[in-house]
Amino acid sequence: MAAFLGGSAAATGRFFFPNVIYEPSQKFNAGPVKSYDVGVSTRWLNEQRVWIIRTDKGIYAMWARCTHLGCTPSWFDDQGRFRCPCHGSNFNQGGDVIAGPAPRPLWRAKVELAATGDLIVDKAILEDLPGKRDNPPFFISLNA
Amino acid sequence: MPETATPPQQNGGGFKLPDFDTLKKEVIDSQIWRSMFRGGVWKDTPRDRAAHIIGNVWLHLHPVKVRPRALHWTYTWGLGGISFMLFLILTVTGVLLMFYYRPTVDLAYRDMKDLEFAVTLGVLMRNMHRWAAQAMVVFVILHMVRVFLTGAYKKPREFNWGIGVILLTLTLFLSFTGYLLPWDQLAIWAVTVGTNMAGATPFLGNEGPFGALMGMRINNDVRFTLLGGTMVGENTLIRFYVLHCVAVPLITGILLIVHFWRVRKDSFSAAPIDPAEEKVDVWPNLVGREYIAAAGCLLAIMIWSILMNAPLEIVANPNVTPNPSKAPWYFVGLQELLVYFDPWIAGVVMPNLIIVGLMAIPYIDTNPKGIGFYSLKERPFANAMFLLGVAMWFILIYIGYYCRGPNFAWFNPWESWLNQKPAMPPTWNIFGPLEGAVPFTFKMAADIVGGRLGGLEPGVVPNLMPGWLGAIVLGGMGGFLMIGPKLIQKDIPGKTANLAFIGAMAVVAVLGKIFAGLPVMQGLWLVFFAWTGFYFGFLLPQRHIRQLEWPRYLFTMFLVLNTVAVPLKMGARLAFNVKYVLTFPTISLNI
Repeated sequence: MAAFLGGSAAATGRFFFPNVIYEPSQKFNAGPVKSYDVGVSTRWLNEQRVWIIRTDKGIYAMWARCTHLGCTPSWFDDQGRFRCPCHGSNFNQGGDVIAGPAPRPLWRAKVELAATGDLIVDKAILEDLPGKRDNPPFFISLNA
Repeated sequence: MPETATPPQQNGGGFKLPDFDTLKKEVIDSQIWRSMFRGGVWKDTPRDRAAHIIGNVWLHLHPVKVRPRALHWTYTWGLGGISFMLFLILTVTGVLLMFYYRPTVDLAYRDMKDLEFAVTLGVLMRNMHRWAAQAMVVFVILHMVRVFLTGAYKKPREFNWGIGVILLTLTLFLSFTGYLLPWDQLAIWAVTVGTNMAGATPFLGNEGPFGALMGMRINNDVRFTLLGGTMVGENTLIRFYVLHCVAVPLITGILLIVHFWRVRKDSFSAAPIDPAEEKVDVWPNLVGREYIAAAGCLLAIMIWSILMNAPLEIVANPNVTPNPSKAPWYFVGLQELLVYFDPWIAGVVMPNLIIVGLMAIPYIDTNPKGIGFYSLKERPFANAMFLLGVAMWFILIYIGYYCRGPNFAWFNPWESWLNQKPAMPPTWNIFGPLEGAVPFTFKMAADIVGGRLGGLEPGVVPNLMPGWLGAIVLGGMGGFLMIGPKLIQKDIPGKTANLAFIGAMAVVAVLGKIFAGLPVMQGLWLVFFAWTGFYFGFLLPQRHIRQLEWPRYLFTMFLVLNTVAVPLKMGARLAFNVKYVLTFPTISLNI
């Protein structure tokens, strides 16, 4: 009896996990690396929810999803901060938390350089640990 | 002047309109009417009035007679009945809206626009649905407060109070699921935030404590089930549509039947019995009042809906969040709570504790006094704690709604949102792992107390003391606060203790000012928040519930301390920029 009820409950629960989901691809071409100047680029924010950040050492892509509850923060150039509109988390350009409730740094996405010189960003592969996130495949070293 | 019959002149042919009473009698005596409505000729006898209730499927949940004390407007305020009327309005308008609304990402927002501009009376139906939903949240909360203040949840009504708490939760869940359906910016972001909280559930969510240990990923955790995907999209919309239009209303309806049936079975009203009191007929004394309240409620919703349109923002964009992004007002308190606490606490543990705590009230409150009337004096502890909780809920809503501007920064209500606010000061943790963090110095402690933490390296959240020490200190303090009030046998004199505590905290604040440059405002906050914790978390329980037997006492204290922890942590953040009291980042456990 208990086995039957438990099995039925488990089966019903399993029903709610879809086996196939139709969501957009997480990989996109962000255009020529050369087209990015030093600083935070919001070019792909509306379409792909990613900032492309060029420093004097190289380039990386940061997923524009607050690690608190998933809103999209805004970039403030004058303060050098990302600030989230939902609960007020603040991050610096590297994605580290300065203030507010976010528990961990912003995620960086995998980046690779195509043969054409285009930047390919893959949001399915993410990293936020200092050290790991500053090395390939999450960072591409470039000469300024 | 004697009446004289006037000859039928108007109609020339001699046809005479039958007068109303004759017509009424003929209709009522017809076989059709008699077959529909049970009972004989209406003579307005007590028997007729009883038969009107018993013989009617809609009214028979009422008793036949009721004590006049239960009928006073100022006893119930008709709050439960009005809540039910709003539920009926929502059912009817909701079904009508379903005729024109298609729940797909491409069509939902267009159908909303059509309802507003192309469908006859569409905008009125949508407005009524929106405003009645908001009113229902208000009235259900007020109904609960009324029942609490009159002690009407006590034996034998404990179970029905529990059903009521579930109905309140379902009311809020109906609002939440309905919120996504317009598919505008407000909708998608409120639901994104709300469902991400599910992702922070301990063990079952991919971002919650111990989630990674359980093998939770973004595509197999509890959030994934709720969304039917990894983000708010097509699957989420259809899931919420089905929940909102079918599943939850059905469950709510079933529980409403149980709720009403228990009201009736538990002798209808908790108002104390007075032997001299003579019962009156429910028809028309009670049912008449119900009709008046329902009609007034419908009228008010209609007028409101004609005067004011329900908001609809621009179409949803899953990549860009409006700034600031706010939840519907009844959830703004929760949103504000999320500023101070990690999502697994504010979004999962606290709501569940509130629900469980509310349901537990009738079983832990053994005070036999104050049943069936408003009395603050006979139930000082229960009323103080409950009103503290309700007040905190609405203070949080006030802060979130009126004091938060762009980037969710603090703006006083009179300040313009156009003024740029200075960047928030960096935060710090009291207890946490020291590896890689800034080493602790005496100067740093003074800087923290004095609010001069700006000099630290940006981006690094410093931990002041090691995490293992924090676990011991917090555990010890929690243990002492849990059992301390019961161990002190004598009543602590209230006024003296309050003054002594405030005085001691003032001395601490002054010492902080002298030795560490603590700003005066911070000092005042320190005194206020510490006193709130002392009064509600220690003094009141010591004076009022230490006589309870251990299990009840411990559970009550557990709820009390959790309640009191909220303003304490808020104070620590607002006045001293404390992010976490204790943090273990490796297992995502932050308090």
